[in-house]
Amino acid sequence: MLMQAELVWLIGAVANGDQAAFERLYAATRAKLYGVLLRILGKPELAEEVMQETYLKVWKMAHTFDPTLASPITWMVAMARNRAIDIVRRRSEVSIEDEPEAQNVAAESAPPLARREMTEELKRLLACLGKLDPEKQRIVLLAYYSGWSREQLSTKLDIPVNTIKTWLRRSLLEIRECMGR
Amino acid sequence: MYDDAQDALAAEYVLGTLSADEREHAEALMSLDPGFAASVKQWERRLGELNVMVEAIEPPPEVWDKIKAQLGASAPVPQSPAAASGLAFSEPPAEPPPAALPDAPAQELPLLLAGEPGEDAIAVPPPPEPAPAEAATDELPHGLSDSITASLAKSLAEPPPPTEAVDRPMVLPAVEPRIERSANVVQLQRRVSRWRRMTVLMGAIAALLALYVGVAQFAPGLIPLGPRSGPVVAQAPGSAPLGARLVAALNQEPTAPAFLLTVDPQRRTMVVRRVSATAEPGKSYELWLIASQFPAPRSLGVIGADEFTERAIPGNFDLATLRAATYAVSLEPPGGSPSGAPTGPVLFTGKVVESVPTAPRT
Repeated sequence: MLMQAELVWLIGAVANGDQAAFERLYAATRAKLYGVLLRILGKPELAEEVMQETYLKVWKMAHTFDPTLASPITWMVAMARNRAIDIVRRRSEVSIEDEPEAQNVAAESAPPLARREMTEELKRLLACLGKLDPEKQRIVLLAYYSGWSREQLSTKLDIPVNTIKTWLRRSLLEIRECMGR
Repeated sequence: MYDDAQDALAAEYVLGTLSADEREHAEALMSLDPGFAASVKQWERRLGELNVMVEAIEPPPEVWDKIKAQLGASAPVPQSPAAASGLAFSEPPAEPPPAALPDAPAQELPLLLAGEPGEDAIAVPPPPEPAPAEAATDELPHGLSDSITASLAKSLAEPPPPTEAVDRPMVLPAVEPRIERSANVVQLQRRVSRWRRMTVLMGAIAALLALYVGVAQFAPGLIPLGPRSGPVVAQAPGSAPLGARLVAALNQEPTAPAFLLTVDPQRRTMVVRRVSATAEPGKSYELWLIASQFPAPRSLGVIGADEFTERAIPGNFDLATLRAATYAVSLEPPGGSPSGAPTGPVLFTGKVVESVPTAPRT
């Protein structure tokens, strides 16, 4: 796995139109992005489509990347997630026949991440998350990882949508306070 | 100065829990308000650490082949405004119309801005459409810290509930309009600054879309289509009672759009009709186009004081851009923004929605 500094350098090279650097960037980041997208979108074809869109956007917008504002992976995953969430918020039906594929994909996922592999920032975030009520932890994590809507969270927890909205808002602001702006 | 409500909006945008309409508004706000854009970036950074936990999964090798094939078509360098019309990285439409519209110039493309109604609007949530439940995938990555994992593990093995269907755009069924000219109408509605009201009022948009479609087809006189052409003639056999009901409902709606924008992509003209926007003495309303391929909003000019403002569309925007853009109105000093970017508050926003099918729905 490439170090952060290398990824920053690669993005800089991509901004200058360096296709070889772009290919290396893709090789270093594709699995993470694909994992994120598959988890939210469920269907490999959709995940692949958003992968293409995202990397083309990276190619085009590399000059806008500011390493002081975000890490390369965060920047790229944010673009991918935004697009994926746009899609799930708009789609009006779920096709059943693709679901078995999604299940197989989940079964092949990598083993758990050991605590020592977690970054300091992640540990801090998880500590702040840990201060929330378990139900609030759940909705934040389900929303982030799986792209659930307020309505889905409401159905899942059997809690009114407006309460979900309030909980999310409060929890997010508590996380902000806990992490110290 | 920290606006918790706005920060919470940014946080929910990053988290992903805003509805589709709320997301559009947040995206428009990001283009227009650098402070809000910065909040979003902060939240991406805070929550982005969670990505570390996601299992990496190798994509199929064909994905790279497809990306590589498209590299030549997109320039990796910043787009200059002069090149805006040509080289745009074409994103697939985020809102596929329910009826596939062929790209024929003669088709009617009324564009409805999914802006927010004013504060008095009735919140009518879109009818949820039951959908099959999604697969029982692992809902959370492995390895979350023990305290969190323990409380989550058991209940998260279930599949997510069905997604609620938000049909955007809403289209009247079984209508066969005869389209006389192509015109895009955009309805700009008041944007409220508090996100709380935004979330409540967003629900009313679907109802307004239905009302708007009804108006376009049954009471075309309400819609400005430019002085050179006649109204859209929509033949809807057997739908007269439906039309009458929709027109009446529109009249009873407590909020009216502030502006109605009609765009004629063939003649490259636009008409802005002042509907409920109040005249602001000593200020000008300025219209902006926001599109993902431009780094900044593009001015479409100051809106005149008359009921109708008609002019040629400035710039070389293509049809796809005009369709996909978000339109916004800001309040500027007289004569418009001195800087070429919005300087005053953004009061109204909206997007295009294709809502009139040219072929009968099957």
